Amino acid sequence: MSTLLEVRDLVVEAPASGVRIIDGVSLSLEGGQTLGLVGESGCGKSMTCYAIGGMLPRGVLRSGGEVRLGGGTERPTIAMIFQDPTSSLNPVHTIGYYLETALHRHQGLKGNDARLEAIRLLERVGIDRAKSRLRSYPHQFSGGMNQRVMIAHALAAKPQLLIADEPTTALDVTTQAQILYLLEELRAETGMALLIVSHDLGVIARLADRAAVMYCGKIVETAPVAELLGRPAHPYAKALIDCMPSIDPEDTEPPRPIPGTVPLLTDLPQGCHFHPRCVRATAECSARFPAPEEIRTSHEVACYHPVAA
Amino acid sequence: MSALLQASDLTKAYRLKSAPFARPAYHLAVNAVELALEPRERLGVVGESGSGKSTLGRLLLGLTAPTRGEVLFEGQSHARRKPGDWTRFRMRSSLVQQNPLSALNPQMTIGEQVAEAVQVHRLSNRAGARDRAATMLEQVGLSSGMMNRFPHQMSGGQRQRVVIARALILDPRLVVFDEAVSALDVSVQAQVVALLRSLWRERDLAYVFITHDLRVVRHLVDRIAVMYLGRMVETGDIRSVYSAPRHPYTRALLASVPTLDPTIRNIAPPIRGELDPGRARQGCAFRSRCPHAFERCEREVPAMRQLGSQQVACHIAEQFNPAPTRQMEVAR
Repeated sequence: MSTLLEVRDLVVEAPASGVRIIDGVSLSLEGGQTLGLVGESGCGKSMTCYAIGGMLPRGVLRSGGEVRLGGGTERPTIAMIFQDPTSSLNPVHTIGYYLETALHRHQGLKGNDARLEAIRLLERVGIDRAKSRLRSYPHQFSGGMNQRVMIAHALAAKPQLLIADEPTTALDVTTQAQILYLLEELRAETGMALLIVSHDLGVIARLADRAAVMYCGKIVETAPVAELLGRPAHPYAKALIDCMPSIDPEDTEPPRPIPGTVPLLTDLPQGCHFHPRCVRATAECSARFPAPEEIRTSHEVACYHPVAA
Repeated sequence: MSALLQASDLTKAYRLKSAPFARPAYHLAVNAVELALEPRERLGVVGESGSGKSTLGRLLLGLTAPTRGEVLFEGQSHARRKPGDWTRFRMRSSLVQQNPLSALNPQMTIGEQVAEAVQVHRLSNRAGARDRAATMLEQVGLSSGMMNRFPHQMSGGQRQRVVIARALILDPRLVVFDEAVSALDVSVQAQVVALLRSLWRERDLAYVFITHDLRVVRHLVDRIAVMYLGRMVETGDIRSVYSAPRHPYTRALLASVPTLDPTIRNIAPPIRGELDPGRARQGCAFRSRCPHAFERCEREVPAMRQLGSQQVACHIAEQFNPAPTRQMEVAR
């Protein structure tokens, strides 16, 4: 497969406050693959998505690096879904209007053709009695159903890349399992690539082929997901895994907290941003940010003292 | 030992919007719940949103009156409490909610807010209350230097610590936590979990921990109760429920939790559909989503019964024995 998305040394800043939100992020994603982006709130994972989608909010600028989509001349289609589906949908439009306008814009479908395709999409994302639901408004749907509508809307564009920014964070665990399964099915069916962003390593573990861990605007580790979870090399990645509570009844070990707090972007520590909270930190770590290094095949880590596997 | 808190036949009905002169319709947010909590016991209440777990928490604290049934705290019923009894009850119980920023007063300093309860109950003078607040803040891992800060000057994790300090300053016997760690980042969440575990060890304190997060609750409680559409469907000690869930709903909930095992993927979701309040009228409320439902589930509400170390409300709970593994459930 060819490279679908290539992000190199992306820098995103908010010039008014002088804050660097994303600092030199590089990512790549092959067609049909799933890349997970994981980190705590404020680490820049959503902003990375907005920069890729070209939809940075007002006052935030891409000040460096590049985002390259597709290898050839044809620009691939991107679609995006968000955390809070109910506020992403326009409350004054029906579900049918919302989907049919998207189908018209992206596929040129009109009238009955658009309606039939909208019904087919709703059925595909698991909404029953789809025909009568076309006249419903978002407030008549649950959060899980609205997220399905968002996914149907994304599919109307026939995207080669779907960016899902915390798509199940606001949903119940049972609905989350349903939506994750749906995303996986659709990815396999359509051959689109998926960029999934989550603070929950469990979600990443279930969907992603590769995953990147972000901390304070930088990627600290990238690896195939099984390798990242089984042999994390960056102390932050390891700490993040250790503080995930387990449901295994035999595992009575409580989640191990990471000391300290995530620093403010306005007040980042010198060198590696994680060093004040890191048990392995040395003088070197506070001097300069470590360059990412490939420690194993397609496993990169930005750390002077990676955890030995 | 006598129970600290006891609820029997606890029911809360909310009237639904209906046409004028039509027969009124009701939604049973909490439906005939039986519950007993010993001193120092830690109980988790889990279920999807709309299962009635938050309403249950409010009923237990007497923040809303039940439609039927009663709650006894240290042997005294909420229904028979006089204003003075309520004051005493409020000193011995408290609530911690999800969003600390909205729970805190933006115009009061942290010190004032934590000390407020001491002054309201006239337990100490101003200086004494301040000292107590400083000690309490230190116990939740905040330096007393934070006393003069305002909530907006703190991080989310620090604010939740302040709310916990405020809830514990009068040394209550019962605290209800309603999604108290759900909104926190995982690294901070783990800190608060460790804090709640250590605070409990040092005190004569019982917890009711209401959450939709089955992972966190596992490390905070001794016993768990699973709710579905207002009814309790399974309860038991956390280890046995998590290792051998008996109710099909508990099994589905546990199987839905994403784990850190990347080999478990691309598996069919354990249950379809969403909560359907219309089903609560008769029979088992879970039947529309239950893969095992049969004719009896349509007409008869399953009674809560003892099965091993657990109590389960399912007609065919025996079928799910012995300990099925997570993978078996998932492969179904």
